[in-house]
Amino acid sequence: MISKKLALVVTLVLLVSFFVCGSAAAADKFRIAYVARAQADSFAAWLANAVKAEAAKYPDVTLDVFDGEANDEKENAMIENAITNKYDCIIVQPNNGEAQRPYVEKVVEAGIIAITTNARISGIAGSSTVDADPYMQAKVNCGLAVSQVPQNAKVVVLNGPPGNFHADERRRAWGREFFEKRPDVTIVGEQIANWNKDEAMKFMEDWVQSNSVIDAVVSMNDNMCAGALEVVKGNPKFDKLLAYGVDGTAEAVLLIQEGRMTATCMQSAYDLAELLMSTANKLLTKQEKQIDTDIGNPLITKDNVEKFVEILKAAGAL
Amino acid sequence: MAEKYRLRVSQVTKLFPGVVALDKIDFAVKSGSVHVLCGENGAGKSTLMKIINGVYQADEGQIFIDDCPVRIGSPADARRLGISMIFQELSSVPELTVAENLFLGEWPTNAFGKVNWTQMRKRTLQLLREENLKYSPETKLRDLTVSDVQMLEITKAVSRNSSIVIMDEPTSAITQKEVEALFDKIRALKSRGVSIIYISHKLDEIFRIADEITVFRDGRAVEAHPASELDIDKVISMMVGRKLENSYPKESVSLGAPLLEVKGLRGEAFRDVDFYVRRGEIVGFAGLMGAGRTEVMRAVFGLDPIHAGTVRMEGKAVRARSVAGSIRSGIAMLSEDRRRYGIIPVRSVRENCVLASLYRVIHGGRLHKEQESKLVTQMFGRMRVKTPSFETSIQALSGGNQQKVLLAKWMLRDPDVLILDEPTRGIDVGAKYEIYRLMTELAKEGKAIVMVSSELPELLGMCDRIYVMRQGVVAGELKKEEFSQELIMKYAATKAGDSDTTGGTHQ
Amino acid sequence: MTQLKMGEMWAVVKEKYSIFLVLLTLFFVCSLTNPNFLSINNLSNISRQLSVTTILAFGETILIISGMIDLSAGSVLALSGVLAVSAFKATGSLTLAFTVGVVTGVVCSLINALMITDLRVPPFIATLAMQTMARGAALLYTKGQNILQLGRFVIFGQGSIQGLPIPIVFLAVIFAVTWYVLRHTRFGRSLYAIGGNEEAAVASGINVRLVKYKAFLFNGVLVGIAGVLFMSRVNAGLPNGAINFEFQALTAAIIGGTSFSGGIGTAAGTLAGAFIVGFLDNIMNLTGVDSYVQQIVRGAIIALAVIYDIWAKVRRRTRRTLGASKGQAP
Repeated sequence: MISKKLALVVTLVLLVSFFVCGSAAAADKFRIAYVARAQADSFAAWLANAVKAEAAKYPDVTLDVFDGEANDEKENAMIENAITNKYDCIIVQPNNGEAQRPYVEKVVEAGIIAITTNARISGIAGSSTVDADPYMQAKVNCGLAVSQVPQNAKVVVLNGPPGNFHADERRRAWGREFFEKRPDVTIVGEQIANWNKDEAMKFMEDWVQSNSVIDAVVSMNDNMCAGALEVVKGNPKFDKLLAYGVDGTAEAVLLIQEGRMTATCMQSAYDLAELLMSTANKLLTKQEKQIDTDIGNPLITKDNVEKFVEILKAAGAL
Repeated sequence: MAEKYRLRVSQVTKLFPGVVALDKIDFAVKSGSVHVLCGENGAGKSTLMKIINGVYQADEGQIFIDDCPVRIGSPADARRLGISMIFQELSSVPELTVAENLFLGEWPTNAFGKVNWTQMRKRTLQLLREENLKYSPETKLRDLTVSDVQMLEITKAVSRNSSIVIMDEPTSAITQKEVEALFDKIRALKSRGVSIIYISHKLDEIFRIADEITVFRDGRAVEAHPASELDIDKVISMMVGRKLENSYPKESVSLGAPLLEVKGLRGEAFRDVDFYVRRGEIVGFAGLMGAGRTEVMRAVFGLDPIHAGTVRMEGKAVRARSVAGSIRSGIAMLSEDRRRYGIIPVRSVRENCVLASLYRVIHGGRLHKEQESKLVTQMFGRMRVKTPSFETSIQALSGGNQQKVLLAKWMLRDPDVLILDEPTRGIDVGAKYEIYRLMTELAKEGKAIVMVSSELPELLGMCDRIYVMRQGVVAGELKKEEFSQELIMKYAATKAGDSDTTGGTHQ
Repeated sequence: MTQLKMGEMWAVVKEKYSIFLVLLTLFFVCSLTNPNFLSINNLSNISRQLSVTTILAFGETILIISGMIDLSAGSVLALSGVLAVSAFKATGSLTLAFTVGVVTGVVCSLINALMITDLRVPPFIATLAMQTMARGAALLYTKGQNILQLGRFVIFGQGSIQGLPIPIVFLAVIFAVTWYVLRHTRFGRSLYAIGGNEEAAVASGINVRLVKYKAFLFNGVLVGIAGVLFMSRVNAGLPNGAINFEFQALTAAIIGGTSFSGGIGTAAGTLAGAFIVGFLDNIMNLTGVDSYVQQIVRGAIIALAVIYDIWAKVRRRTRRTLGASKGQAP
């Protein structure tokens, strides 16, 4: 009996809270739906937060964030729901570009403005794209690495989840722009650490045991790079270890400032958010019909790190 | 080979690692006859039946059906050869309906593998009608009684056109009336030419249906005889290899003051239940299945809630209505369903034995292993538990030995009142005797014992007083000098108002 | 008869200690395969890598023995961890941070217990719900961002006492406590009884509800500690960390002989199970086995462990007939 009553109360509370939240949306503003890949992915979460903050700067816009939970089916359902709810603009950060492609096409068909971002789904007529180019992000690192990495160096590689566009593109850039140009370099260990710091730590710990020398860590993102560096922290044998990442997370910027990490490429969520909202605004106010644009790929090294520390501090990330 | 045998087993030997389970068994069943198998647990009956049913393969020997040698490699082979087995633990699925269970594993399907429900229902209805069963094909099995399910199992065998039906302890969980119905069914099957192998411990029953009797002892078929040449005493002496002097070791004990008193107890399945037990007294509870006896005992023990009434021990109300509270007040209860409410199957006999008195072996922050072994050794000695070791999991023991371990468990608590719900169900003659012996011993120590049983002879043989329940109320109370099967049946089976039962005590 | 006894004894030894034989064999094979395997550093690495999931595994062992499970361990770990980290960043107190982590684990775990015992939600569903809720709470609290610059907090995961890494000290202590609880307490016996046959446990006077609450309380403490150790080890508050750690923990418990049907399992078995997985992962990394192949091997090990468990049961059942016949013989 008690449990039945309790269940009823809980259900009611949930329902009421849904209605209260739902009715809060204003009527005569532009309504934008932002469908995020996964709130559990720290870059995606950062981007979602940045987009929300950026949207607040536009008085004629309301923005709702939806979480695709790193699941194609969920994300597709979110897009469909947004169409049903007649949003004026739907921004999609795909979990897997090809899986979301037909749903973004549906958005266009419904006469709703569609924008895809991080990573873009290109080639949908009528849909706009705002992105950073993952190949380029890795390539700017490679340019540096080609000259920095010593002769006959031994390196380890940390990969993102296979099949992920950014993971694959970044690894492809490292292959073409670094390993092909430096045939003297050997890869002594390469594993999938799924963007995770703790998984990367485990691999690095094992590699440190089986290799007397490791000259460089090539990581597809900053989280994993930070994990590898955590392992060799305070170990004088690895004082000269070179370490490359991508994303420009707060942690990576600090590591570069300390001189422990070599370089990363800033994939600035703020820049991306700014560009996204200005693009959305241009499309909503009918200044333009279709836009494809990229943010820059600034390389962060010891030489220019202070500037980025300031940026992150200003944004409250440090 | 003058006679025609439906099934013949020749020189079958089965070895388990280190043990000869069956030793050159010869065994034959005639067409259209009932062949009863007797023997203590572990004598090899079940092993032989499992070989005939294809669960095990014999190491040596040959099986013939209608004098043709056959190989039975699996239960499916056995089924094809017309052999059906009705298990001691019924092998049905409680959440499925009658129809689904009847065709379990052989559901009629169409070309695409979809189950043909209409056809299944139609065939079920037809079968149920033929077999004169009253429930509908949609009834879920869990809503049927044990006896209904058993009839269903038999119907299943009939539906497969089985020519040999093996029944393992079919009457261990059904009432007298249902036993009659079962025997009628067996006679009907026999008249259709079906051969029946019937395993039972209930020696008084078997003579009513047996055409032939084979007794097993220690993996050998001792002898096969036409039933007409035997009597109970002969069978018992063949089973145990010696003569049992007295099947009920009852001794008269001087009765003390009332120890457990129950007044006005009301619950889901019973009402206005009053009873008491004195020190040194063995009180029986008779009644048909579903009369509410088990429910009353569960409520007294604190397993089920009560709506009204009091339970007193030595005049003091047992306040905490929980099992732990009852145990603290000195009440212990051995459940009717050993598997469900008794044993922890995967744990050792040692752990099962001390489960209700952990405080005696775990105190001062650690387990006292030597003390535990000592207590268990003592108890097992007293109960005469036979186990390969203390670390053997209890599920590996025979039913009788499991029951003795459970009794040992409660003895360790040294309770004042012991409630025994069907304590001898499904266990062999030897173990039964040990349990009776123990009851007598405890009564002599001044304990009070409540025995719920569906076997009237043991109630009459062991009790000092018997309450009879019917439809949730105590319909009558019999003093020792009034004991008779007829009177008990009258109280148990007649409707309220038909006789002078309202007063409770019979004069 | 003597021969039979010898045979049976060997069977008991095999059944009881086979997991340790496997572990030992694996240890020797690994030592021969790669010279780096046997170094003190590497072995201490393995222990540290394993410490977090093995601590969770002890919690799972206790729950599975009593017929339950906790699918929320990884998520609750993350929530406990990020709350502990922020408590430290706010106050600079290691004690407070540790306490916050443990209390969070306990609270979530007790909510699980409440759902399971009093609201009668099956453990699988209740803890699955908690998995989602706790992860959501961790992400909500941190806005999905990693918490950085933990300072002294890293001592839990990276520091040492007398040369012994702290996570290994925790692992050893928790192993000892789990062993003690399962073997030397009434609570431990009750866990086995409830998992083996809950209704029989009730009928024996065991307060099942209380025991289940206690089991979750124990689990909650372990999850909280694991949360602190994990965040400290990675030197960050990762709200999306430790995903699927409950499955790694379950794997260790199952390989270690804990039976999913309840009533069977030991602390030493779980520890051995964890190290079997740990040694395998380590030797595969040391020798540079491909990531994809590693996944296949890991899956195969789980399948083998369960297949072994099932066949051991079948053999036990065959011996049961033997035991029963033998019991009657004299």
